Amino acid sequence: MPLVPSRNARYNSPMPPVSQTIRVKVLFFGRLKELTGHPEDFAEFADVATTIEQLFALYSARHPELSKYRSSVVASRNQEFAAWDTPLRAGDEVAFLPPVSGG
Amino acid sequence: MATLPNDDIYQLVREPIDMTALARNVRAPEDGAVVTFDGFVRNQSHNRATLYLDYEAYESMALAKMREIGAQLHEKYRIHRVAMVHRLGRLQIGETSVFIAVSAPHRAAAFDACRFAIDTLKRTVPIWKKEYFADGAVWADGELPPAPGATPRAKPAS
Repeated sequence: MPLVPSRNARYNSPMPPVSQTIRVKVLFFGRLKELTGHPEDFAEFADVATTIEQLFALYSARHPELSKYRSSVVASRNQEFAAWDTPLRAGDEVAFLPPVSGG
Repeated sequence: MATLPNDDIYQLVREPIDMTALARNVRAPEDGAVVTFDGFVRNQSHNRATLYLDYEAYESMALAKMREIGAQLHEKYRIHRVAMVHRLGRLQIGETSVFIAVSAPHRAAAFDACRFAIDTLKRTVPIWKKEYFADGAVWADGELPPAPGATPRAKPAS
């Protein structure tokens, strides 16, 4: 699976468009934010049926501790709770949410 | 999503919550009851003395979910107005973190709606608190929101 996170996306000027590439915004909250070291990132991958689950696996490969939290995390896509097998589209905003503790 | 009455209030704030103003705001001549919920910072957690709490939110989604709860309240209960405000950032012991006020012609609906609102908020609104103690800090045990299951296979276009 040709998944390539773009570490520099936030710091560089806009990159020239690459054909067949999907770019999504990825947000982390709570302990996941501390663990990954950033509240938001951008991921780019080839235009295939990449799912939220695969996106999480991509970050787990980079931050192995993340996988410990897989069972206690829910995901959202464009501010709606989303199933793990949801395929991503260009421009999506995906967030990984630990158990909520407001109130 | 159902539209909400213009005079409802749904907010995330970083300043102290003005409970008196919010409770006054939901009152109207045709109402007979206002029920409020004031959630504030406890001085201990699991028998450890708390110093203070830090709240953070996925703000755009949290507001959307709060408004969704409001729409459910109007659908399920005979109520008039809702005010629902959650504070973010650092909160000291005793400070209000969440405040909900519901007005209604009759008290039963206001009580029921207010209870449903805080219970649902605590399960579904993406807000997190970190608890600070003299000897460290932890993210509070939270609740796992009800997430959708696997997506059913899309039917091929006919």
